[in-house]
Amino acid sequence: MRRGRWLHLAPLAAVVVACALGAVLAGGPAARLDPARAWCAPSAARLLGCGEAGVDLMAVVSSAALRAVALAVAVSLLSFAIGTPLGVAAALARGRLERLVERACDLVQAFPTFMLALAVLSAVRAPSRVHIGAVFALTAWAPFARLALAQTRVLRGAAFVEAAVALGRGRAGVLLRHVMPNVLGVVAVQLGSTGAAIVVSEAALAFVGLGPRDGVSLGGVLDQGVAAMLRAPHVLVAGAVAVFATSAAMLAAGRAAER
Amino acid sequence: MPPTRRAAASLGRFWRVVASRVIESAAVVLALASLVFVALRVLPGDPARLVLGDAAGEADLARVRATLHLDEPLLAQYARFLRGLSRVDLGDSLRRPGTSAMARVGEALAPTAELALVAVTVGAVAGVLAAVAASGPWLPRRGRAWIDRGLVVAAASPLVAFAPVVTWVLAVRARVVPLPGDPDAGAGGLLFASGLLAVPLAAHVGRVTRAALAEVAGAPFLTVAGAKGARPLRVWVVHALPAVVGPIVTVVATQLGALLGGAVVLERMFERWGLGTLILEAYATRDLPVLEGAVVAAGLLFVTAQALGAAVHVAIDPRARGDR
Repeated sequence: MRRGRWLHLAPLAAVVVACALGAVLAGGPAARLDPARAWCAPSAARLLGCGEAGVDLMAVVSSAALRAVALAVAVSLLSFAIGTPLGVAAALARGRLERLVERACDLVQAFPTFMLALAVLSAVRAPSRVHIGAVFALTAWAPFARLALAQTRVLRGAAFVEAAVALGRGRAGVLLRHVMPNVLGVVAVQLGSTGAAIVVSEAALAFVGLGPRDGVSLGGVLDQGVAAMLRAPHVLVAGAVAVFATSAAMLAAGRAAER
Repeated sequence: MPPTRRAAASLGRFWRVVASRVIESAAVVLALASLVFVALRVLPGDPARLVLGDAAGEADLARVRATLHLDEPLLAQYARFLRGLSRVDLGDSLRRPGTSAMARVGEALAPTAELALVAVTVGAVAGVLAAVAASGPWLPRRGRAWIDRGLVVAAASPLVAFAPVVTWVLAVRARVVPLPGDPDAGAGGLLFASGLLAVPLAAHVGRVTRAALAEVAGAPFLTVAGAKGARPLRVWVVHALPAVVGPIVTVVATQLGALLGGAVVLERMFERWGLGTLILEAYATRDLPVLEGAVVAAGLLFVTAQALGAAVHVAIDPRARGDR
């Protein structure tokens, strides 16, 4: 066990705490409008200033970042839970199933994910976060399966696994005691980059107009910022910094699983 | 084996690799097309109502269902859809009656292909240059370390976050590039948009090339080239680079999907006409034939570029086609 591994979670914790604080400080719901203050610059009353129709950017950015983190964590864990057993099973079964899963991973990983999301989301009138999460999960399992497959392939020929079999341990015992612990650590590292990719993709989808139907998304803030680039650049900067900080914190958190 | 037969066998393997890529590409396009088809018809919700909205009358709904052939059995619809795809004809655009959906897609394909092509070229060249600069002996050790760090940061920077900020700095503050939405942006606008699109690609290409060059750095063939009096530039560019073409082509291919997504974001941001804008417009107005055609065209663009990359790889690197 490496010391200080929990330190890698510190940036993510900082982002979550800052957003929770921001949401509390701003008070009131994220969507409250105050047209008299539209596009107002940052001030003591509105620390991050206001956006379109006078929404308080602090409230919008903090709750949007919190929701993005929640979505990213949920989808990454789901993909981890689907992809890892699939990869391990494929490597243990060998033969045709192994090749099939490997090719499927190749195809899914090379897929233009963003196009897929646009295509599938076009079937619903106004996507909810569950819809968006489901679309990401369609492709996010592949890297986990690929990593689990590669690692299990190494382990199935390892001397200590052979020794455990020779000592009379059953298949399930070998799998649980010797294979799984060595697979999980390697595969879990992928959680961070998958989470970061989901934060960014969600923002990108909302930026082009396919955001969640409650309208609270970092991509929505960026969209407002681009539209008002000339008169209210603070909107743009707030959105960009939030996306960058949230995705970077996700990436860093993934390193907590590294050995 | 005599040389001519060996060359013939090598050529045979080249075509076998190409053929397997073509089949795989067709599978990707078919999968994407089928997903669009299934999503629009099988998921809960009536496509005709999506098109017309809730207030539409029964007669109008029936008319749209007939136009889109939604009243036929699902398998018949699927067969019609595949036939339409093979004939490049998905019917007329719902929002612009009289214009075929595929004609609108064709109009939008060129600007996006142009944007993506310039971005891939700029990104690949910039990434390789950065990697060579970080590997060769020209810069001091600290300078090379900074290039490595810069590549890591650029690879982790999301396009959707930095593109608006860079545009604001360069277009609004410094006024060196055209503003978003400027109809007279021209070549400068194209170059700036592709430059932004190229940044993540350049970072990934740079990192992978750097790692691959580090692997061959100590190889005997480079020592020999240096001993024969070749300058460092010649050693790295003429001798080392061709040996690492494989990883470069592979990383460009894996980044193409992200590049296409980035193109949609940038087209929307700069209000450039293209496949992304068309998809978003078709999505907003529920123009289903155009939406289907545009997504399939995007998939086609993607697999064609990937297959081209693979062909370049096997043509340059004999190891990729299994020659000994």
